Amino acid sequence: MKKILALALAAAMSLSLAACGNNSGSTSPDNPPASNPGSASGAGVSTPVDSTSDFKVGAVYITSQNDTAGYTFQHHNGITTAMKALGLDPADLIVVDNVPDTDDTAVANAIDTVVNQGANIVFGISFGYINAMNDKAEQYPDVIFSHGTGYMANDTNFNNYFGRIYQARYLAGIAAGMKSVELGNNNIGYVAAYNREYAETCSGINAFALGAQSANPDALVYVNKINTWGDEAKERQAAQALIDTYGCGVISQHCDSAQPQLVAQENNMFGCGYNSDMTEQAPNAHLTSAIWHWNVYYQTAIQAAMACEGDASKFVENMGGNAYYAGLKEGFVDASPLNESIAAPDTQAVMTAVRDLMISGEWDVFSGVKLSYNITDGKVEIVKTDAPLMCDGVELKDGSLVDRDFEIVPAGGPPVDDGVIKGSMNYNVAGVIEG
Amino acid sequence: MKNQQPLFHVVKRESGSPARQLLAYVAAVVLALAVGAVLLAVQGVEPVTFYKQLLTMGIPGSRYPWRAVENFIKLFVPLLITSLALSLAFKMRFWNIGGEGQFIMGAFWAGAAAMKLGDTLPQPLMVLVMALCGALGGGLYGVFAAALKVRFGTNETLLTLMLNYVALYFLQFFAETKAPWNFFLDPQSARPKFAKFPEGAQMLTVPIGSFHLNLSLVAALALCAILFVYLNYTKRGYEIAVVGDSPNTARYAGMKVGKIVIRTIFLSAALIGMAGALHMSSAGVMSASPTNDVGWTGIVVAWLAKLNTLGILAAALLITVLQFGCQTASATYPAIDANFANLLQGVILFTVLAADFFTRFKLVIRSGKEAAK
Repeated sequence: MKKILALALAAAMSLSLAACGNNSGSTSPDNPPASNPGSASGAGVSTPVDSTSDFKVGAVYITSQNDTAGYTFQHHNGITTAMKALGLDPADLIVVDNVPDTDDTAVANAIDTVVNQGANIVFGISFGYINAMNDKAEQYPDVIFSHGTGYMANDTNFNNYFGRIYQARYLAGIAAGMKSVELGNNNIGYVAAYNREYAETCSGINAFALGAQSANPDALVYVNKINTWGDEAKERQAAQALIDTYGCGVISQHCDSAQPQLVAQENNMFGCGYNSDMTEQAPNAHLTSAIWHWNVYYQTAIQAAMACEGDASKFVENMGGNAYYAGLKEGFVDASPLNESIAAPDTQAVMTAVRDLMISGEWDVFSGVKLSYNITDGKVEIVKTDAPLMCDGVELKDGSLVDRDFEIVPAGGPPVDDGVIKGSMNYNVAGVIEG
Repeated sequence: MKNQQPLFHVVKRESGSPARQLLAYVAAVVLALAVGAVLLAVQGVEPVTFYKQLLTMGIPGSRYPWRAVENFIKLFVPLLITSLALSLAFKMRFWNIGGEGQFIMGAFWAGAAAMKLGDTLPQPLMVLVMALCGALGGGLYGVFAAALKVRFGTNETLLTLMLNYVALYFLQFFAETKAPWNFFLDPQSARPKFAKFPEGAQMLTVPIGSFHLNLSLVAALALCAILFVYLNYTKRGYEIAVVGDSPNTARYAGMKVGKIVIRTIFLSAALIGMAGALHMSSAGVMSASPTNDVGWTGIVVAWLAKLNTLGILAAALLITVLQFGCQTASATYPAIDANFANLLQGVILFTVLAADFFTRFKLVIRSGKEAAK
């Protein structure tokens, strides 16, 4: 017994010693050791030795940086991809992860740690970091702060970033609407984290519904709210309930996991995912997803930060404003490749045409102009009709539903202000039913 | 030959000298670090550098070393006070698992006071009022469970445990419900978000150069001294020990056990509530889950220190260094995330508890002679 223990201990000790010897030989004491030298990409290794190599990127994550899917994964992937593209070594990224956005002390502490380790720019990815990000931007004027999904900013070293994901949702809505015509079933389901409580979820639901209605004017979108951003069991139940209660033939989602798509597949129905291409998980059900290309922003931001050359106060000027809000045009959001084996005929052609229209800037989702499509032999003609943008007559104010005007935008009117889409949209467009 | 005897049995050691015990603890920490070193090496991280950063908490050579110390204090104070307070209850064999809930209730009432009165009262008075509100909020929440135990003999472990979740969701309701009556939230924000406390409700600090000494640290250390005296040199402290050893003896000696239980649990929970209040004041803003798990970690600290007041000071310090140091050290390694930091802490705690076990007991392996009998 004792012998075995002693042996195991000795083995452990010698292993750890051997490992120390190995590593200390290959790295100089001043440089923090580049861990996993083998796994670092070839491009990262030959970083040019100039002032840019001193530039340090920092990030505060809500879950683990070693996640293999989900929100943090998408951002981490975006940051490391951007770093590689700019000749920075992703191994030098300074991260504090698993930082709950419901504990302000923990967030402030994490930001201090990242700054103390030498970060020149700090990305915070969760909305709940907002108070701490704002405070720290003031406290450290020589560091750049960039807050995802937030709305606070200043004129020097602090900006926020988000994207026109509603544009991608509209495209996904088209695929869902065309499928619903093919199925002869106007009922479409939508598993949503929240609805009118957050402009982010609300605008997503509305854009998806408008996209679906452009292809199928009779389409109805039934929203099932789960009151959390991610909970696999609840996502699954909500999707099943939409199918059982309303007979929905297509299930869309605004929640973290692919469960709603899996449920759609199990029921021989169809679906549109979110955040990542979920065709992999549900190849017989998933049509297309609204997805983010976070690296587009991160590359722009890191580049602008590096161009400050040490003067953090120039960051906002370099970014051309303190609220980055890009869409299809910049490649920040998109619809994932259409699963053509199950999509309705001509879906791809319509999506491409509308995508081009939005990229051109001639038309946007929440406006007084409705789209419909004439398809002849695979050729798509987009028909624009002046029509008022209507809601269902209620909005969420201070926690309760109150009556409001039905008309959001008059016929032919200009698109709804970006501030509303990002921050205060609190109504559903006509044809959305919260179940 | 058939053998009914187990392979080994656990036998209590005659006596363990304090020196021997200390040695065992040190050996345990070294063993845990060795295990951690292997795990680090497997992930391609140099253990020595990592541990150096962990133990120094990345403070030397960092850009703003004083800020790291300030943050350390912000983590240390709530854990210290909560562990001390829990040890009061545990000494009496009252299993207060409700530290989380009492901390949250303290934070909640202190926050309410800050939002309502923060503009009107001068800063020192306001911080004091917050501490009192927190103590009262936490104390009454704890007394609820104690009173039920004394009156109806309910199980305090279950009750305090479940009340944690009640408190957690109670606070979350205020964090997420946007309504005109909800004075905790920032009216400017479309999404629910806590408003910052007015200036007057921020914790008092003493500037020493760039470093700002958080006065809650002074309060916590003073509390440590007071509790040491209270538990060891006062009649009430003695009563707690007697009730803990045997309620019947206490009754026989003419002590009013129910009264002692209620008084002590109020004190325990009130201190935890006060920790919540001081923590909120230091943060300067409410949070939906403000505890940093001190209600749970405090239990570990209290038992690691065998409920000894000075031991708690040391154990709380050790755990905070581990938590804070792991975060700082892992920040620069892509392979090391917060989960690894938790794992390392777990390994250390596990080996220390094992060492504690082996200093008090020994395993006697079945000898050949015995088996032959």
